Amino acid sequence: MEFPETSPPSPKAPRSLPGRLFDLFSGFGLATITMLLLGLLTWFATLEQIDNGLYPTLTKYFDWKSLFLLPELNGKIVPLPLPGGYWVCAVLLVNLILGGVIRIRKGWSHAGNLISHFGIIFMLIGGGVSHHFSERGNMAVAEGESNNAAEDYFEYVVEIAEIKDGQPGPLRVIRGAQLTDLEGAKLRTFRLPDMPFDLEITSYLPNTVPVSATERAPDRGQLITDGYFLMEKPKLAKPEPAEQYTAGCYARVLLKDGTKSAPFILAGANFHPFTYRLGDRTFILDMRKRLWPMPFTLKLDQFTAAFHPGTMRPSKFVSKVTRSENGSDAKVTIQMNEPMRYEGLTFFQASYGPPGAGPGQKMYSVFEVVKNPADKWPEYSLWIVAFGMAVTFLTKLISFIAAGSRKKRHV
Amino acid sequence: MSNSFSKPGRWIAAGLALIAFTAVFYNLVKDNMPAGDVRKIEGYTPLPKATLQIAETIPVQEGGRIKPLSTFAGFTMLSFHGARSMEVQGDSAKLKITPTAWLMDTLFRPQLAVKMPTFRIDNSVVLEAIGVTARSKRDRYSYEEIEPARAKLIELAQSYETLKKTKKEAGQNDTLDPSQAQTIDLAYNLRSYESLLGYFGFARYGVKLTGSGKHGAPDQRADISALLITAPEIRKQVSSSKAQGTGLDPRIEDLLQQVFDAANFSKFGLILLPPANPKQPIWLSAGNAIYNTLTDTEGDAPLAIADIKLLESLARSVTEDEATFRTELTKVRDALAARATQRGEYRHIALEASYYRNAYFLNALVYFIIGTLTALAMWTVGKGKAGRILTWATFAATVTGLVYCIIAIVTRCIIMQRPPVGNLYDTTVFIATVVVFISLLIEWMTRRRFALGVAPILGTFFIILSRRFELGDAKDNMDPLVAVLNSNYWLTIHVLTITMGYAAGLLSAFLSFIYLLMRGLGLDDGDKDLRRSLTRAVYGMICLTLFLSLVGTVLGGVWANDSWGRFWGWDPKENGALLIVLWTLSILHARLGGYIREWGLHFASVFTAAVVTFSWWHVNFLGVGLHNYGFTAGKNSVYVFYAFVAAVLIFGVVVMAAEMSRKKAA
Repeated sequence: MEFPETSPPSPKAPRSLPGRLFDLFSGFGLATITMLLLGLLTWFATLEQIDNGLYPTLTKYFDWKSLFLLPELNGKIVPLPLPGGYWVCAVLLVNLILGGVIRIRKGWSHAGNLISHFGIIFMLIGGGVSHHFSERGNMAVAEGESNNAAEDYFEYVVEIAEIKDGQPGPLRVIRGAQLTDLEGAKLRTFRLPDMPFDLEITSYLPNTVPVSATERAPDRGQLITDGYFLMEKPKLAKPEPAEQYTAGCYARVLLKDGTKSAPFILAGANFHPFTYRLGDRTFILDMRKRLWPMPFTLKLDQFTAAFHPGTMRPSKFVSKVTRSENGSDAKVTIQMNEPMRYEGLTFFQASYGPPGAGPGQKMYSVFEVVKNPADKWPEYSLWIVAFGMAVTFLTKLISFIAAGSRKKRHV
Repeated sequence: MSNSFSKPGRWIAAGLALIAFTAVFYNLVKDNMPAGDVRKIEGYTPLPKATLQIAETIPVQEGGRIKPLSTFAGFTMLSFHGARSMEVQGDSAKLKITPTAWLMDTLFRPQLAVKMPTFRIDNSVVLEAIGVTARSKRDRYSYEEIEPARAKLIELAQSYETLKKTKKEAGQNDTLDPSQAQTIDLAYNLRSYESLLGYFGFARYGVKLTGSGKHGAPDQRADISALLITAPEIRKQVSSSKAQGTGLDPRIEDLLQQVFDAANFSKFGLILLPPANPKQPIWLSAGNAIYNTLTDTEGDAPLAIADIKLLESLARSVTEDEATFRTELTKVRDALAARATQRGEYRHIALEASYYRNAYFLNALVYFIIGTLTALAMWTVGKGKAGRILTWATFAATVTGLVYCIIAIVTRCIIMQRPPVGNLYDTTVFIATVVVFISLLIEWMTRRRFALGVAPILGTFFIILSRRFELGDAKDNMDPLVAVLNSNYWLTIHVLTITMGYAAGLLSAFLSFIYLLMRGLGLDDGDKDLRRSLTRAVYGMICLTLFLSLVGTVLGGVWANDSWGRFWGWDPKENGALLIVLWTLSILHARLGGYIREWGLHFASVFTAAVVTFSWWHVNFLGVGLHNYGFTAGKNSVYVFYAFVAAVLIFGVVVMAAEMSRKKAA
């Protein structure tokens, strides 16, 4: 194997500023630093998720809004400012393109590295596409029943509908992205053109429950409305998974004549929506996880959970389903490691119930539903990277062995 | 190594290395050695080997699979006793008791078994709390010693379990302190042991026919199997008394109570009766068979009665001569084996029994230890005639150890019907094998004897690690995997790749450790060619680590995408693998950029061991994530290892600084 010795830099003419910037952004130094920083961020994030939970930790370390952060270890702040992981990845991508593709020495001996760098770039872009454009949710279906909508794992929305003849009319949906920044006193008015009122929302909390003021006094001067106020859920020793968060906010109806209703609470933890009456018309306002309509209906024909004999160790979860679309049916089996991929959506076997069901009891199956335009990109990039690295390392190994043989012959 | 012979520094280094090796070895194996005196058991004579070999191949169902009795005995003994063998003083000599012998005594000679030092209790606080006098740490206690404090033990264990549950429900940290956790463990172990001790109670005592003794004579006893023949008649009487609203005949009520009690005692412990229905996957215990026959619940009553009769004859024959007991044992084994064979569940029983009997990994360990000693001698004496002999001795011992490892792994694959790595134990033995194999490959390519010496040392270390893990975990490491891991394709391509990546990373670190040691202690006599050779080997191993870790990590992502619906979930195990990739990539780029040279490369390589250890072991202690094995034993050992890595790095920096100052001065 050729051990690459680098020679000291030879004196060169001074570089222009763009040239120096190019050197900086395409250099090994930046590559090394960004990878070490990514490693450090990953390490801190791994340890911090024990105390703070996965979702808040990921948001802190890898969200694009996080420019700098201070890590925590065992609940204590470490005085080491680190750049946000999203931006470190962005710099690494630039470095890879400039250094690993444009600046890299061309030729057969470097072909493997070039291919690998292409593969990594493809993988990073795939990660970016997944991060920004993928959607995830879950769909529960009971045996013999059908469903055509998945529920988002994280996104809480506000739904408004008029009740006519005991049934809700067309839904108006305010998406989570328009709610999550309404923290504290910040408020936003949402215009509802085909409704007789608009909606004002404020004091959004990502994980909260309405608490009766007779049971507990507000600890942060929260607004009490109808005897209740919104209390942030306490942090547990074992953090609650973000999928179980229940968001909430305060809202107020703004009539077109400028009058305002009393504030009321919209909360994901509420069992029932808020009802608003205007004359003889009735409206419901609800905060719930976003429902995601599917282009087809899924009927669960049979669910089987098998266990290794005499144990509670699962050996197999199998859902036999019928997929119906435009009047035609297709039978599909979904099980662990064998998801259903169809029309850009992927259905994975995620869970089942009811827990401890006895023989003959009606079961339900829960599917994780993912729409990810870059679903298979990591796999494609893997083959590219693996091929590139195999070329590089095999070339070096062969030259190493050949050098060894030559040496022996000389001896 | 250099050719200069018997340089005093080299002998000193070899002596120090030997002391260090012995100290590490002792520390690692001492936990397996019981403290205190060997217990004397009056009237104890061991069961003959031939009898035990028959018992070994009795099939039992446990942990979701059918396994030989010897495997069941091995892991049960490990969980109670903390070792796979036990020493007792018989009437004439000191005896070493194997797991199967211990289990057979527990089942068939409980009056002797209760005197055996079965329970390992490390924490004297546990014993003091229940009122038992504690002896030294790692000492073992017999059932006879603990039994008087049984009620107190159960009471305390229940209160600690309630405490844990309350904390969990309140969302607080529910980790109990070690003495509380060990109290709960001891209570469970004691109950499990009692289920084995009393398992054949139904066969030993039968049922008493109350009122059958006339004229002052004691009441007669009857076999449960004989009583079961009358089960239809008993059921008829029960139904008719229910229909007529009259009470059940007190004699029948008494009989029924005795039978149900006996069935309860033998309901757990051993699940050894294959059901007649081939579609019924769950086997039966003797208690299940008795209960089902009496209540006409399910199964084949004549077969169940025949099984119970066989077990009764076996349990009673132990009081007769040994030949009769062996004959009865053979009858039971053959009957159960024939039925298991019919169901296609006996295929690997003999192979598995021989796997544990042959103790391949223990044999490998012996050869690796011999290889380590000859390697130290080989490095010490240089390249003369003695050196050549020692080189061949090291090679022979290492290859023999490697062959044992390969045989063991292949055997395990055949038994488990899956690729070699599926749990943490598998990783340790697989890494031992891969590390030794790659070291020998490096030796073949370099012929400088450093990789040859490293091979048995690392082999020894990893085999001892696997034995320590097996002891701490005390769970059958061949039990079937959970549904998500149940994919031979992914287990082969992802898990093997990533595990080989760990092996390559650790080997690279150890080679760098040897480099720093040689250079620091002047053992290489400034031989630049040797240093270059080692550096190239380390560079190659870092490349290999990167290749395997990167490919393994991405393959894991592809698998996760198929199983859990996401390529990357920031699970600690995934993050650990990513850390190895990022670290090795950083090393290679820093090297290419000229930011690190020979010293830097070796320092970075040594640190790779810490990164790999974090990914391989440490993340299992974090208690979060989908890859969490729930294993917590030996957490402190990880920190000891980190400290070792730090010490090596500090040593290296000191050596480098000293060299640089010498160069400057020159």
